[in-house]
Amino acid sequence: MSRKSRGQEKKHRSGTIPTDSFSDIAFLLIIYFLVATSLVKVKSITADLPSGEKAAQAQTEKTPSVNLRGAEIFFNEKQVSFDELEARLAALDLPSQEGAKRVILLESTRDTPYSSYFQTLAAISASGGVVALVQEEEKK
Amino acid sequence: MKRRKKRPSVPVPTASMGDIAFLLIIFFLVCSDTSKERSMSLDLPQSGYVEKTKVSVAARVSIDKEGILYFDGQPVEGPKDIEWGVRAVLANTVADDQRHVQFTCDAALPKDQFEPVIKAIAEAGGILEAVGEKRE
Repeated sequence: MSRKSRGQEKKHRSGTIPTDSFSDIAFLLIIYFLVATSLVKVKSITADLPSGEKAAQAQTEKTPSVNLRGAEIFFNEKQVSFDELEARLAALDLPSQEGAKRVILLESTRDTPYSSYFQTLAAISASGGVVALVQEEEKK
Repeated sequence: MKRRKKRPSVPVPTASMGDIAFLLIIFFLVCSDTSKERSMSLDLPQSGYVEKTKVSVAARVSIDKEGILYFDGQPVEGPKDIEWGVRAVLANTVADDQRHVQFTCDAALPKDQFEPVIKAIAEAGGILEAVGEKRE
């Protein structure tokens, strides 16, 4: 009998795919995703700030302004507490206003900490206002 | 004398372990938002108006206690880098929901350090998502 014919007689072995380590691989992948995933939801306030040109257009005499000078708050040049600011913003009924009438100018001095700025920004946004940041002109 | 009964060894069925594990992987793949944020030490500002962020953010901007700026976890030099970075990210967006930019900043930092960054985000067309803590 030739070699070829002997080969034809060979029976194919029934091969099995080794799946024992599949679960190990899968659990390793789970551990990777557990480490790489951030499940913590952050809390934030949303503020759609107009860009420079729009903000410049919004600066009219009648536009309400909030001025932060350190820890002090001024609303239309009158010193107010934070609660009074919230009340005044609510009185403006900003959600029912249209376009430019919803704009509130926000100005601050150099010593204003971010915490005060954030609180004011949050109060204006929550009352339905559009915050326009006032940029100081650079001294020549 | 009591005769001890030999209990038959019960095999734990492990055949479906792989399937369960892969299902868990698919769950994490679908739900995960890979962390781009570096762990940094900062005190977040507080307000009664903060709420859980419901939108997915296009980019993350942070300023740590030392005033170092980060864009998507990578340190950058100044607000201009932030502006161009946000512009690049928002270039292919079509809806307002895709324009949200998360901004995290230390509560004690002065205006000179945070306001140029906020302006840069606004100039680039981003909607500010300022991160804070809920005041109780």
